[in-house]
Amino acid sequence: MPNAATTDPGDPASIAPLPGWITSGRGETPEDVAFLSGAALAHLHLVALSPELPQELWRDRLALRAAEASAGFAGRREGQGALRDAAHLTKACDDPGPAGAILRAWTRAVARPISVGPLAKALDGVTPEAIALCLDAAGAPVGRAAAVLEAVLADTPRAETAALILADAALSLALGRKHLLPLLALGLKSRDLRLTGEALQQACHRALVRAAAQAVPMAADLARRAARLRSVAPKLRARGAAKAVEMFLSQDALAPAALPLPDRAARRLCDRLVALGAVRELTGRDTFRLYGV
Amino acid sequence: MSRTGDDLDRDLADLPPDLRWREWLRRIEAVLFASAAPVAREELGRVVGQGASVDLLIADLAVDLMGRPYEVAKVGAGWMLRTRPAYAPAIRAAAAAEGQALSLSEFDLAVLAAIALHQPVSREGLREIFGRDISRDLIGRLATQDLITTGPREPRRGAPHTFVTTETFLAAFGMESLRDLPDPEQLADAGLAGPSEA
Repeated sequence: MPNAATTDPGDPASIAPLPGWITSGRGETPEDVAFLSGAALAHLHLVALSPELPQELWRDRLALRAAEASAGFAGRREGQGALRDAAHLTKACDDPGPAGAILRAWTRAVARPISVGPLAKALDGVTPEAIALCLDAAGAPVGRAAAVLEAVLADTPRAETAALILADAALSLALGRKHLLPLLALGLKSRDLRLTGEALQQACHRALVRAAAQAVPMAADLARRAARLRSVAPKLRARGAAKAVEMFLSQDALAPAALPLPDRAARRLCDRLVALGAVRELTGRDTFRLYGV
Repeated sequence: MSRTGDDLDRDLADLPPDLRWREWLRRIEAVLFASAAPVAREELGRVVGQGASVDLLIADLAVDLMGRPYEVAKVGAGWMLRTRPAYAPAIRAAAAAEGQALSLSEFDLAVLAAIALHQPVSREGLREIFGRDISRDLIGRLATQDLITTGPREPRRGAPHTFVTTETFLAAFGMESLRDLPDPEQLADAGLAGPSEA
């Protein structure tokens, strides 16, 4: 267990890294690949149980990565920064644009417990009946997800985002989760989406190992940062600061204007949190800044 | 604003199933016929029974229209009735559709194409592309024809609006999604004139 040393044994709540043999394993046979993805999913299950982990924030940030991947599958080049901008600089009456729409779909899909209604709202153009069908898929978790992915893409070959959201929803349900955890989108490659049957299922197994290798370190990082933010929270005396901290613990990024404080107070609070090392400025800009844990 | 029309009998409980279905089908066709823009599933759902699948009705309608010179076309997240391309010369010869044609100059079209390919893009972004100022009038012309709308603001001084294309844009150019646009790289390779593979 070479990784044991990196976990602090004195802190039972700390998030254990993914055992190295899962990601470095040269699993080539279908049995190996399935075994490794099973191990990765089981580890993710334990990570998700950690009380230190800000669950909503974790899902929201994974949604951002999933959106970035989905935009790539759709032939777009927007990175995480452009996606965040599209989400935070679009007023309610404006259109977020094609890439912004992809992020919006993911963000909405992870925000509420998985069910037909909210997913139908998140996925413009997919019928509630089709969504219900996807959520009712039967079989072992990864098989279900692959079947959903294949079915949606067979029907609408260009609806990669919808297909991935529904496949991840089916997977999360099969794993007994109430909320959607974006995984497949993080690990699949563009050419994987053209596979079918057994080959697609193999690709999904591989993708899940790759996704866990991103999601677990992210969870550990967020747990550490969240602990920092929680520890400085009592020092903040601005009215509305407690609510702001809560928002930072549940959302990937926030513009100061979105905080429940007057403009100047919100900007000061963000500066203070940055100075305290509790949140980061995410854009590197002097104006139109966005902050996040 | 209730567009449902409170007295519209959606469920048609007193009709036998096949007549009920036929009536729903006619309603969908009527709504599509009356609308110049694509109609979303949600809106079509308001004229048929609660449990009726709009998609199945649309599929049946498409079969019904098999021998007609117009068809039901999926545009973005909605549908519209549209004449089949084969009849374009006839319609043009009769000049019957003149009033509906987009009034766009060649340069308007170039700007629209640039917005479609680079969206979200602001006037400043367009100036970089064309090497000259794009007038507010031109943007206004595209917006009044509902081909573009405002997108996210740009994170720079003055927070200028960016522009993005609409579903009407897709409908006007016979596209189902933005993916039907030629790839920018293909365009560059072909000197802006190459046929698109997509």
